[in-house]
Amino acid sequence: MNFVQNIPALSILLLMFCGIVCLVLPARWARHLADCAIALVCAASVVLWVAFLRGQEVFTYSMGEIGAPFGNELRAGMLEAAAATLFSAVTLLSILGGRAHLRADIGKKKVNLYYISVLFLLCSMLALVYTNDLFTAYVFVEINTITACGIVMSKEDGYTLAASMRYFIMSLIGSGLFLIAVSILYALTGHLLMSNIQEEVAALYASGQYRAPLQVSIALMGVGLSLKSALWPFSSWLPDAHSSASASSSAMLSGLVLKSFIFLLVKVFYRVVGVTIIPTHAILDLLLVFGILGMIMGSVNALFERDIKRMLAYSSIGQIGYIFCGIGLGTIAGVAAAMVQIAVHACTKAMLFCAAGGLMDASGGSKKFKDLEGAGRRDTYAGVAFIVGTLSMIGIPFFGGFITKLSLVTAAVEVGGWRNTLSILAIIVSTILTAIYYINVLAIIFRGAETGPTTAREKLREQWKKQMRLDTEYELAIVLFILLNLAIGLQSDRLMDVIRTGLAMFG
Amino acid sequence: MTNVYTLLKITDKLTLQFGSDPTGRFFLCLVTIMWILVGIYAQKYKEHQKHNARFFTFYILTWVMLASLTMAANYLTMYLCFEFMTLLSMPLVLHNGTPESIAAAKKYLFYSIFGATLGLMGMFFVNTYGTTLAFTAGGVLDPAKIAGHETLILWVAFLSIAGFGAKAGLFPLHAWLPTAHPVAPAPASAVLSGCITKAGVLCIIRLVYQIYGVQLLRGTWVQMALIILALITVFMGSMMAFGEDLMKKRFAFSTVSQVSYVLLGVFTMNETALLGALLHAAYHSIIKDGLFLCAGTIIFWTHKEHVSEMKGLGRKMPVTFGSLAIFSLGLVGIPPFAGFLSKWYLASGSLSEGLPVLSWLAPAILLLSALLTAGYLFPICIHGFFPAEGEPEAEGKEGSALMLVPILILAAATVLIGIFASPLKDALQAAAATMF
Repeated sequence: MNFVQNIPALSILLLMFCGIVCLVLPARWARHLADCAIALVCAASVVLWVAFLRGQEVFTYSMGEIGAPFGNELRAGMLEAAAATLFSAVTLLSILGGRAHLRADIGKKKVNLYYISVLFLLCSMLALVYTNDLFTAYVFVEINTITACGIVMSKEDGYTLAASMRYFIMSLIGSGLFLIAVSILYALTGHLLMSNIQEEVAALYASGQYRAPLQVSIALMGVGLSLKSALWPFSSWLPDAHSSASASSSAMLSGLVLKSFIFLLVKVFYRVVGVTIIPTHAILDLLLVFGILGMIMGSVNALFERDIKRMLAYSSIGQIGYIFCGIGLGTIAGVAAAMVQIAVHACTKAMLFCAAGGLMDASGGSKKFKDLEGAGRRDTYAGVAFIVGTLSMIGIPFFGGFITKLSLVTAAVEVGGWRNTLSILAIIVSTILTAIYYINVLAIIFRGAETGPTTAREKLREQWKKQMRLDTEYELAIVLFILLNLAIGLQSDRLMDVIRTGLAMFG
Repeated sequence: MTNVYTLLKITDKLTLQFGSDPTGRFFLCLVTIMWILVGIYAQKYKEHQKHNARFFTFYILTWVMLASLTMAANYLTMYLCFEFMTLLSMPLVLHNGTPESIAAAKKYLFYSIFGATLGLMGMFFVNTYGTTLAFTAGGVLDPAKIAGHETLILWVAFLSIAGFGAKAGLFPLHAWLPTAHPVAPAPASAVLSGCITKAGVLCIIRLVYQIYGVQLLRGTWVQMALIILALITVFMGSMMAFGEDLMKKRFAFSTVSQVSYVLLGVFTMNETALLGALLHAAYHSIIKDGLFLCAGTIIFWTHKEHVSEMKGLGRKMPVTFGSLAIFSLGLVGIPPFAGFLSKWYLASGSLSEGLPVLSWLAPAILLLSALLTAGYLFPICIHGFFPAEGEPEAEGKEGSALMLVPILILAAATVLIGIFASPLKDALQAAAATMF
């Protein structure tokens, strides 16, 4: 067995182990350990990715060498390696980008707990990416939920408590539905490993037996996971949770956590149910329609929002809609577009949340638009990050967002009928709305600093100067985020190749 | 396209490419000359406004994007420059910082982004159904790929062309023009009206002749619909200008109408009409920049913005009002001033095209609109020079060479290009010929 095949299991175990060790370390060492562990996992994922690029075949890794159908398996291909790289890299950058805030937001005693949550969160996301076992997936979905609530709650004020309770309840409903679906599938097929289930499901479909419970379980999985990934009507919990949390928590939640469930959903559709059966299931149409509604409703809500973090949170709902629109098209090209959007949105939104943190620092901690006037000049890095984010969201060529739109429309053109027209119209509408509210933010954060120093503004500037010294990490994170976005925009050909190869290895 | 230079590459089709062709060079020269003249004028006008560093930064940046747009060698580059031009010219509109100007800038942004997004979607379709995105005379769509999808492609063509029409003030996306121009500082409204609307025209020329291709569009409902939209805009713009008292708004409506003359020529899709369109683009740029600069001068010295307040002002400001008279004659199209020749070619091009009804309706509407143009421009000069008996003496003065010289240069150009038209005409004829 090639050494790289150990990487998936080792990354997950390393993160878990470090998480436990963090508990007993002093706060400063816990922080360093978390940084190092995540960086190491990121490097290892890159190594795995490179191995796939060099011709490594897709492999399964049996935990404890217990073979199928009884053992627990991890399965890795090109797409999984790329996703693991993305998730760990963005987690690392989010922590760096929000560090100044973490110091302010989180009490001294909670620091260790925060880093434990982050490590376990990343661990659970990687597990969702790699696992080939439905029940393991369920377990890590729960770990994911608990740790995600943990990082929201770690900023101690009333808002985060209320928000994370809502988040918790909605999430539990989602994972409850998922669990019911897993039980039904287990009862029908007698398996928990995805590949084995697929064989049985195909046989059941061919024979026509148990059609109704099968359909129901697929639908439940779809609904459960889309509830957890904030597909539009199920997204009411998102703005509160994402806007009240500390900057790096919001970055991770919006940029990654939602995506990990979508990744699992794609896995369920294409590995558990199978590429021949899923396009015939009505759940795709449902996801498409709600995705489209999400694209529009998220943008409309964001348009009327006067609080920068809530605006970004609503924008996430809109952007998640793009992903579901891609999945709902029901073609491989559509799923590829969804994957591109996962990558683009992970980089862009995490960057914007970190930058929003910077803007808030530069404005005395307020999130309101009226206090943010001129903040983009006081904190140039955040200003530039917002310019890049805006250009990407509008779909200017050579930025990430353009690639999403290109691949999504190209995928939609190939699908016939109402799906085609509806999704393209929705893309047009949502692009315009998105452009408007992002440019509105730009106009606000770049306006007014010239209008002469008022005392309040001078005070803010003084505060900001004091904080400047803390912020090399933040600046580094913003610069890397911008480079990541541009890299996706400029190297989209290779990215699309990776995704296509990855999807071919997927099923 | 010659001298194509590839700057960046996403894929083999999607590249950032610049090159030059006669049409692009013509627009490049036009906007650059206008930008310099208006820039000189702005050196004096800037005393009238604050934040000049910001103003001139965005003024130059907008020119950079506009110049890049004229040199764009493919659809992607054109879209990129178009979008950046919108974003960078928006601060010019909201420069005064009043609530009206901010609202106007938002409106401008909304219309432009809406149009550009339609253009972007068009690009995605062309990327799927075409062989390349590079501008090629006769179009780039692959007949094998579009077989069976003609309806779809025609819709895409219509929507993307109408989308870029937002910048050129084509009905129904024209409404930003009369809102944005009056609130912007005079130099900004001059270039917005004279040059940036031409960017929309250039994009439409590229789409019609070098992306979708004349063969695909000629005689289809798309051509009919676009010509009808252009005619509606021509007529409606003139009517609205006729009833408008605020001077800059009157000129803005006039721009709506006049730029659609150009678009009419583009949509007629033959060489004569396209020649007329290019000529009219040049003439309108010169004349409308001149008109806005005159309006700016009047506002600068007298703070009068309404036409009805300007009675008798011509005697105090003879140079400005004299130039205004020349520009008016030119825009109406009275020979030998500049506007005559272009309208001649537009009308004869339309008549020779042989479209049912529209062939003769178009020249008729052009004529009617010319009358309306006379109706909304001449009274300004007439009342300026010859106020009614018993009008109180108007306050005002003339001054500053920095303001007057650009206006006089533009006025001289209006006369001279009208009389000695053949060098420009020959050059543009060659440019128009490369489009087919």
